[in-house]
Amino acid sequence: MSAKEKFAENAKLGKFLAHKCTKCGHLHLSTVYFCQKCGNRGSEDMVLGGTGLIATYTIITVPPAGFEKFTPYAFVVLKLDEADLRISGFMGGIATPEDLPVGTRAKIAGFDERGVIIEKAVK
Amino acid sequence: MKKVCVLGAGSTKYGKLSDSIADIATQASVSAIEEAGIDPKEVDASYIANVFGIADKQVHLGPVLMSNLGISEKPSLSIESACGSGSIAFREAWANVAGGFYDCVVATGVEKVTHTGTEWTTTYFAYCSDFYYEGQAGASFPGLFASMARAYLSEFDATEEDFAMVAVKNHENGMLNPKAHLQKKITVDDVMNSAVVASPLKLYDCCPFSDGASSVVLCSEEFAKAHGGNYVEVIGSGRGGSPAALQGREHMTTIPSTKIASKQAYEMAGISPKDVDFAEVHDCFTIAELVDIEDLGFFEKGAGIQAVREGRTKLNSDISINPSGGLKSKGHPIGATGIGQVVEVYDQLTGAAGARTVKDAKIGLTHNFGATGASCAVHLFASV
Repeated sequence: MSAKEKFAENAKLGKFLAHKCTKCGHLHLSTVYFCQKCGNRGSEDMVLGGTGLIATYTIITVPPAGFEKFTPYAFVVLKLDEADLRISGFMGGIATPEDLPVGTRAKIAGFDERGVIIEKAVK
Repeated sequence: MKKVCVLGAGSTKYGKLSDSIADIATQASVSAIEEAGIDPKEVDASYIANVFGIADKQVHLGPVLMSNLGISEKPSLSIESACGSGSIAFREAWANVAGGFYDCVVATGVEKVTHTGTEWTTTYFAYCSDFYYEGQAGASFPGLFASMARAYLSEFDATEEDFAMVAVKNHENGMLNPKAHLQKKITVDDVMNSAVVASPLKLYDCCPFSDGASSVVLCSEEFAKAHGGNYVEVIGSGRGGSPAALQGREHMTTIPSTKIASKQAYEMAGISPKDVDFAEVHDCFTIAELVDIEDLGFFEKGAGIQAVREGRTKLNSDISINPSGGLKSKGHPIGATGIGQVVEVYDQLTGAAGARTVKDAKIGLTHNFGATGASCAVHLFASV
């Protein structure tokens, strides 16, 4: 299974697959092959919870092809609770900024042809 | 390292053009060669910046351009770095002259996309993102910059009306540029009342999709002196990178590659941001210009907004930002933009900028990036 396939399988379970550098312990995306901090190749899988807070987002009203039927929708950047890592993705059902203040609690909720799916979450 | 000069520059009008991509690239290159006053046979090589040639049925543009110029025997290199292609092609051209490989080269940027329509242009542009994490999830380019804008609103004391002031200022400058795509005066209300594209950005916060081509002739100082025409000197060059996806960045209100590239360029030139008289910066969206003027060191982080409110970035104020009208008003033919900025600097520093002349300007800066700043080049120029 490729790094991206493994990442997607975890996202389908609501999880975030990170890589922990075996040399310096830095946590990074599992789709990055060398440690961003020290350049080491070795890493071990680390499955993190997919919950966090909305760091920023936009509501798209002029979509690229294939997204007309979802419009308006949000593209969001989620800051994870368990690490200093962020993941972006698709969030449906958002029409106005009042629907999604920065800091809203959200979670990874799947992975499909729209990439990472993120939903609002209650604590 | 040899001193490198820009000896000639030319552009087509930016906007909706009917000629083919190869034709407009050729027209701009012919203007630059004629302005330089050189024999085309003196050109050693060319660098061609383009992203979506496939949309106008022409890739491998380099040899086509060279054939049209009557110098088919000379080598060319096609360069794609999304919206930063132009400045990055300029950098490669500069490096090859600075390194002594060539005496005289042409750098040309071109784009032809308006015939594809908004939906497909929006879709093609999204391919410039880190597609797995962004384009695939429905992010458009306005959407990615809107995400930066939302972060800026949340982090600093800024309003959407402040963003609008950037557009109003750039349209004021673009009104003075006969080659600008959108030569139209606009107000803050016009921006605020325009349709939302990707909240909080509205149509008038966004640059247009444009066709256009720009070209410059670069050469060694000895070559420039021998030809006797107007030229400007390249005094600094820098390149940098950022995580391709926004999610890879700790802060969403800064573009790391701009800081890296500008630091290199300032150090090479031995100057600081306060020495710069005017700058052509990458304002694909109003938020981008705010982030740029802070990352380039003209204003502290978060202070750009106050500077815009006070009119300190207007033509012939503290620092003239985007005297050409910028991407917002002059237009953004993405492969051409980075070269077009150099054309503006050449015109400004050789006294050919007409009504939009920055008074007593000695030093100009160009700043151009690809995607959300994943790639970036900054150049500094001085009048001779």
